[in-house]
Amino acid sequence: RLAILPSIIRGDWQSHTQCTNPGSIQTPLHHSSSSQTVKKVIEINPYLLGTMAGGAADCMYWERVLSKHCRIYELRNKERISVAAASKLLANMVYQYKGMGLSMGTMICGWDKRGPGLYYVNEEGTRLSGGMFAVGSGSTYAYGVLDSNHRPDMTPEEAYDLGRRAICHATHRDAYSGGVVNLYHMQQSGWIKVSQNDVSELQYKFREGN
Amino acid sequence: MSRRYDSRTTIFSPEGRLYQVEYAMEAIGHAGTCLGILANDGVLLVAERRNTHKLLDDVMFSEKIYKLNDDLACSVAGITADANVLTNELRVIAQRYYFQYQEPIPCEQLVMTLCDLKQSYTQFGGKRPFGVSILYMGWDKHYGYQLYQSDPSGNYGGWKATCIGNNSAAAVSMLKQDYKEGETTLQSALALAIKVLNKTMDISKLTAEKVEIAKLTRENGKTRIKVLKQEEVEPLIKKHEEEEKKAAKEKKEKDQRDKAE
Amino acid sequence: MDFVIGIQGEDFVAVAGDTVASSNVLILKHDHNKMFKLSKKILLLCVGETGDTVQFAEYIQKNVQLYNMRNGYEMSPTAAANFTRRNLADYLRSRTPYHVNLLLAGCDDIDGPSLFYMDYLASMARVPFAAHGYASHLTITLLDRFYRPSEFLCPLSCPLRVKCLMQ
Repeated sequence: RLAILPSIIRGDWQSHTQCTNPGSIQTPLHHSSSSQTVKKVIEINPYLLGTMAGGAADCMYWERVLSKHCRIYELRNKERISVAAASKLLANMVYQYKGMGLSMGTMICGWDKRGPGLYYVNEEGTRLSGGMFAVGSGSTYAYGVLDSNHRPDMTPEEAYDLGRRAICHATHRDAYSGGVVNLYHMQQSGWIKVSQNDVSELQYKFREGN
Repeated sequence: MSRRYDSRTTIFSPEGRLYQVEYAMEAIGHAGTCLGILANDGVLLVAERRNTHKLLDDVMFSEKIYKLNDDLACSVAGITADANVLTNELRVIAQRYYFQYQEPIPCEQLVMTLCDLKQSYTQFGGKRPFGVSILYMGWDKHYGYQLYQSDPSGNYGGWKATCIGNNSAAAVSMLKQDYKEGETTLQSALALAIKVLNKTMDISKLTAEKVEIAKLTRENGKTRIKVLKQEEVEPLIKKHEEEEKKAAKEKKEKDQRDKAE
Repeated sequence: MDFVIGIQGEDFVAVAGDTVASSNVLILKHDHNKMFKLSKKILLLCVGETGDTVQFAEYIQKNVQLYNMRNGYEMSPTAAANFTRRNLADYLRSRTPYHVNLLLAGCDDIDGPSLFYMDYLASMARVPFAAHGYASHLTITLLDRFYRPSEFLCPLSCPLRVKCLMQ
């Protein structure tokens, strides 16, 4: 019933001490999760979420600029911006600074007239729509978990679990990832925050459970 | 009163008119006549030549008809100095397009681009509009043979036959009467042009040195623009005069017959 | 890696491309379309640096569409190709060059089908067949050997294209 879409965000190789890894899950329902002190899922507005990977400052800044543009769009057009348009705005903005050292890997997820939408945008100006992405240094591990356990007919609960599991395993193997998993669920009525779990606790749980 | 509004082009008068633009159009009303006719197998431009003097060196290939590129030519009525600026601009526009697309500019795009320039001179600060009306003849792959006219305000339109310059209103109404839609050949268009010009020009007798004729045709997939030599124009005029004479004679005989009855 | 190919026949141009979007070692997407419809009868295939491809192709696409709207008729494939090349060349010498390799396929009402090959250095050639990407080294040789313009009908060229893709 729903495809999932977890994402892992890179913990940082730069000088960020408090980074952790969020996952985001999408489709009819989308989710994403984030971290300890730094929240790696950025709440752009009640219908849009963005994830952080790469340079935290770049992500935070550009997604804040994006939320400004989205709000202006809403005021001008008396209608919410589509996920496609919002992600294109972000991609165009960062594309202008291509090659100047930005570091940003993000997923924009939301719900609009066309239903749920998920886009991957990075500092090169790449913008891809899709049903499932993982971003960041731990993403390869996350993809492994996701690809082997994902089914198109998952229930939201199963999707939540898969998202958490993907992040959890990624943080376990990735030296630069860790912290908490923040899990969000995008619904027609906007996002809800599902849970926030400490990765180390989850790891025990999954080990026992399996 | 109008002094307050006609010294600047960018200001409307209380009646909503732009005097400078209207004056520019007026100036064209005094210029040599130019006329264009669209035929099935080509286009024709005819212009009245005013600067004739036996001491004038005739190295100039033509005075009022300019070739713009391989597929386009134009004739101008108005201030010649302004016209030179505009024809130069037209050539640059055409080449610019060719540079970008490696294909000849479609006729209407050229006219439109130049008219954007003409229009800007009726709106932006402290400038005088170009005192020039232009007739364009051309060929492009989209619409074939075409004839356009533009005026100092920046208006333009496509025509089957039209006239600018001195006495143009009378000429246009003659053209309207005699133009046969869909069955005009270049040959009949030439005859018509001479006839109209003869009637509307302010001279008693039309001579070959007073007119310039250019025709545009397609031959073997290429456009050919040819300015007629004086020797080629003379027979046309002669033929026209003969026909006039014949018509006059017939009329006279008819009158006499009517009288006798 | 990225691969696009185009083959011209007597009254058609057939084009194909892979649909993979990759970043480093990861395949991010399996159904990524690299073709851009410039107008009713012109198609642009674009590969190269991610980001640049979409930005440049959409820029060209929007300009061609603007031309069509302004003039009420479609830009010819030759004009579109020259326009694209000109832009690529101008950007190449700017501070922000586009690193994209292109194939432009079109059918003109008068001039028939045409295929143009362009690379990021803004060279352009009108060719009977062309390909971009690593696989092009392999496929071009095949095409050199098997290309017979007069024998190609649309369905016939398909097996050849598949052959190329498989290589």
